[in-house]
Amino acid sequence: MWKEKILMAYKAPIDEKELVKQLQDEKTASKAFETLLQYYSEPVYWQIRRMVLNHDDANDVVQNVFIKAWSNLHNFRGDAKLSTWLFKIAVNESINFLNKEKHRVQSTGDMEEESVMMRNLEADEYFDGDDLQKRFQIAISNLPEKQKLVFNMRYYDEMKYEEMSEILGTSVGALKASYHHAVKKLTEWLSE
Amino acid sequence: MRQEEELINRFGKDSGMKVPENYFPDLQKNILNKLPEYPKVVRTVDHTRWQRIKPYVYLAAMFCGIWLMMKVFHTATQPMSMSLDNPPAALVDMIDSDYDYDIHYVPYIPDNFYEDEDFIMSYDNIEDFEKDFDYSFQPEYSTITTSSQNDKNG
Repeated sequence: MWKEKILMAYKAPIDEKELVKQLQDEKTASKAFETLLQYYSEPVYWQIRRMVLNHDDANDVVQNVFIKAWSNLHNFRGDAKLSTWLFKIAVNESINFLNKEKHRVQSTGDMEEESVMMRNLEADEYFDGDDLQKRFQIAISNLPEKQKLVFNMRYYDEMKYEEMSEILGTSVGALKASYHHAVKKLTEWLSE
Repeated sequence: MRQEEELINRFGKDSGMKVPENYFPDLQKNILNKLPEYPKVVRTVDHTRWQRIKPYVYLAAMFCGIWLMMKVFHTATQPMSMSLDNPPAALVDMIDSDYDYDIHYVPYIPDNFYEDEDFIMSYDNIEDFEKDFDYSFQPEYSTITTSSQNDKNG
């Protein structure tokens, strides 16, 4: 269901121009932002969740994303789609969160990063996958950030390369190469 | 892509991730409650070098203008320096020099100019002159004494 919502959100079922106009007017901004949340909170959440894996972490990050979007409404010029802008903020916030986590794990030094991810996933009461799915998620989380993003967008959301190109600001050719490398690595790691 | 199909067949497309019941409506409420005040638009303008120095250039130009105006005003209100009490140095030099300015500035006068009787002695008595020109001299000038008369009287 969330997959359809992501694609629906990206295809902007609402009048984006009108929504942006309302968002940039102080009098109508609150109501417009409510509409924006109704359309985009779910797809943005899933984008983040697949990056950070844990629901509680995803919940924190998604709230930061929308508060950041609200605070930067005047910077949105309407050159790109509203969904593209929101996904970009979500991607940046997710990467920032993962980098902080990585530094935190490295500074404590008591556990390997992969083990921390596994522990987070096991501790997450909103993950009901079996061992195979757990292994798959941990393997995905070990991919480089860009490959991880591309793989999630393509494998789970079935997003077109052209749409991914707009969000990630990377050429279609480079995205295809990233996805190809990600699939190859995952196949190798999971066949061991 | 064969490897992609292998992954789909083996792991499926369900990530096993779930969310609490009624999570998204609650999330939307939470976010709306946490929103700060509507952001004030602060427009920052990148100043070019010219924009940065423009006020100083204008200030300098203004001072130059004031200085020039004062100079013109001062010159206009100065008393005439061309007076006999205070002749300009150039004029003094000109007067003191041996240069014969008459050569250039006095028009040529023929040698016989003053001997031209038609010019000097056109009238022998004042009445004729007065009649011709319809003019009457004052009594003290009412007689003409010619050089020939002076010779006779003399």
